[in-house]
Amino acid sequence: MSPGRDGLLERLLAGSRCDAAAGESAEAYERRGTSIELVEDADGTRLSVVAERGFALRLFRSGRTAFAASPPEAVDRLPFEARLVLGRARTRRGARAAGPVVLDRASALTPPPPPDEASARALLASFRSALLAEGEGAVSLTEAILTVGARKERVATTAGRDVAFGSGIATLVATVTGRTAAGSVSARVLASASRPEELFLARLAHQAVDRALLPLRGRPLAPARGDLLLDPNVAAPVVGRLAPAFFGDEGDALLASRTRDGRDAFGSPALSLVDDASAPGGPVKATHDGEGTPHSRTVLVSRGIAAGRLSDSAAAIRLEKPPTGNAMRRAYTDPPAIGVTNFFVDPSRGVAPLELLRALARGFYAAVLLSRPEVDFAADRFRLHAAGYWVEKGRVAEAVSETLVEGRLSELLRAVEAVGDDLKFVPSGSGGAGSPTLFVPKWKGA
Amino acid sequence: MSDVVEVFRQDAEDAVRIVSGLLRRGESGEAFRERRRRVSWTATEAGLLAPAFADERGTAVRLRRGRESLLVAREGDGPEALREAVREASRRAGGSPFLKSRGVAQARAEAEASAPDEEERAAQLGAALHRALPDPRGLSLSLTVARVAVSRAVVTAREIVACGTVRCLEATGVLRRASAARPFAFQTSAPWAPALDALARALSEAARPVPAHRAAGGRVDVVFSPGAASVFWHEAVGHPLEAEGGERGSVLTRVARAAVAPAGVFVTADPTRGDLPGSYLADDEGTPARSVALLTDGCVDGLVTDRRTAGQASNGHARCGDFRRPPRPRLSNVVVSPGRASRDELLEACGNGLYVREISAAHADPESGRFTLFVESADLVRRGALGAPLGPFALTSDVLWALRQLHTEVGDVSHPANGLGLCVKGGEGVAVGGASPAILIRGLTAVRGRS
Repeated sequence: MSPGRDGLLERLLAGSRCDAAAGESAEAYERRGTSIELVEDADGTRLSVVAERGFALRLFRSGRTAFAASPPEAVDRLPFEARLVLGRARTRRGARAAGPVVLDRASALTPPPPPDEASARALLASFRSALLAEGEGAVSLTEAILTVGARKERVATTAGRDVAFGSGIATLVATVTGRTAAGSVSARVLASASRPEELFLARLAHQAVDRALLPLRGRPLAPARGDLLLDPNVAAPVVGRLAPAFFGDEGDALLASRTRDGRDAFGSPALSLVDDASAPGGPVKATHDGEGTPHSRTVLVSRGIAAGRLSDSAAAIRLEKPPTGNAMRRAYTDPPAIGVTNFFVDPSRGVAPLELLRALARGFYAAVLLSRPEVDFAADRFRLHAAGYWVEKGRVAEAVSETLVEGRLSELLRAVEAVGDDLKFVPSGSGGAGSPTLFVPKWKGA
Repeated sequence: MSDVVEVFRQDAEDAVRIVSGLLRRGESGEAFRERRRRVSWTATEAGLLAPAFADERGTAVRLRRGRESLLVAREGDGPEALREAVREASRRAGGSPFLKSRGVAQARAEAEASAPDEEERAAQLGAALHRALPDPRGLSLSLTVARVAVSRAVVTAREIVACGTVRCLEATGVLRRASAARPFAFQTSAPWAPALDALARALSEAARPVPAHRAAGGRVDVVFSPGAASVFWHEAVGHPLEAEGGERGSVLTRVARAAVAPAGVFVTADPTRGDLPGSYLADDEGTPARSVALLTDGCVDGLVTDRRTAGQASNGHARCGDFRRPPRPRLSNVVVSPGRASRDELLEACGNGLYVREISAAHADPESGRFTLFVESADLVRRGALGAPLGPFALTSDVLWALRQLHTEVGDVSHPANGLGLCVKGGEGVAVGGASPAILIRGLTAVRGRS
């Protein structure tokens, strides 16, 4: 019997012994994954090759949920482990196994083929060359970590769902060191995509050089009133921090408090927010979520007005809407939770970023973040520690080594006057967050 | 879980033979076995919500040859997983697999958890949350509380080395009030009942309304509580002395043996301190744990190393987040010797400044020496006495500058740090701990009113 056809998933589902009459249902999940990780640093090269298979079971009884996960060798204990704690779980409306729609004919899972090591080495070499060329000798690569993985998943429920699907991921994390007469600084940059060939190496090299050299070559800028241009590298992490406000019914109170129950706009008319697993350039390319529900394109903010929510099966029942396919599983050992796929500012009405730069009368172009952005949706505050360029009449006047851009988050979102057409993604939460260049005129703290 | 390491030993003879057969001339390496059991609950201000149980088992085979190293990982911690990993490692390393079995019994005795007490533990956890938040009005809590037990062993070419079993209670999440959201992170390796008490205290403390006062920006003299000082030492001295990136890889390795702090300051990385979360018997390459002096009498002394950076001279600080990741030189417990000053004497020496009680997060750039500490709880110090409590802010400075500005006297008691539990580097978290006396550093830069 091949590893993919050993019937463990079926055995797990049958072993849950659900009593439908008592309101019980179950969901069995299987994941197979292979990945390679190639690390190059001053001490040499490390190659890691990982192949894994894991199972998970969710038991539902009258609104209660319990989760258990294990590798194949302990799969028979999962129903016992889940039942052990099910009684103490609190009830929540909508918690039950998804189904009975069969969205795809399930096939036994065969292990995905191992990613190609030679291509990974070639890709790292290309990035090193791009960085050396871009950095003109002032920037060196301290460490590069390339991870390429593929996985196959299967979800089956006692309510009749049986779906199998696959996905891939490629991530490049680079630590670079910039050295000039002014000193040295190291910085970490990362990019992710669904396939290694979709990693934009030249763009990452450019970002790495800016991140390492701007703090050494520019001068600090005291916060001052002026126009503000946020590069996608700066805007995307901020956009990613907005996502929890759209997570099912749990984000409702938060969103309502910031929009006065929908009476106020969430953002400016230039701003539309979308979650879409098929977005071009997004790091997530998958057909189904962790509950086997097909992903969909969900408009969350339409021209500044909050318009939708991300949901899993349970939240969809509570919201009385179809599920959006946003039950995400980080690992087979984690229960699914609402999360983003590719969550981004819609660039479809955007203009070329150069046009936005020309529109800057006098202001700051934030090119890179120097630390993780602070975004507190509850307190309506944000703070960005960024480096970039001071721009006058659409032309770069001087480099800025660091400055703080801070203020009310709602004011920033409502002040976005125009967006670019240069959508870029960064890894964020369970997926990716993306934004084009954002133009904010006359910001009081830039 | 206590018997898991014994389970790892059940095929000892065969496992050691397989690993020794894998290694060829000029190669070193080992196999690594891990079992992780995690029982977690999501919790809100209303109590426990959904339970989750996860059992993870894995085996990794690691080979090192010159500047190249290879890791092959498989799920499962039994003989079959080891054979499969060795077969793949051997294929990739260009050797022939050495897999002659001597007929080891396939069925291994399992060390099952004492499951029936799980319900009781859940009830106790629920009660602790209720104690922490007796009146949750105006508060929104989104928390994951987990009881984790991790057992590890290393199979070398000669023996199986037990790294030990680490049990801890951890909690992460967010507390929200109308005015602000506050991240919450807690970890302790104390036994169950004291761990629950500590969690309840930490949660109760974190649930207090954020003070309206904000720290003024600019240069400031700062007294750090023992817990906050542990985070400072971890970031400012610990990370720059992790042996990666060569001899000139950090601000402290570039000034090896130089006096960088006042005489009388002794800082060690000590994984043998069993009362702290970062302790272990042997590191994740099987090297016995030992204490390493980082600063001796104020002078830069040693580095924490693994076999990749120091070969057989590794001082037992190879650590990995889980079996899928290669080990790297990482910190364990950073321990600082006490001095003679009381807290009041340090406040008196400070005069006007800040008293930092709790740091929620921090990061350091070993290359430039710049570090940032995110302060969650602090008080003003006026004329040597504690004043108004302050809202969150950040402190930043340069490692060498800060160590030079360290007051010559440090606190008279070295306390274990409650707030230091998990260190994430390159996306990989390992349990760490610290113990430090209170300290006074002059001239740090406060970045006002962190949101």
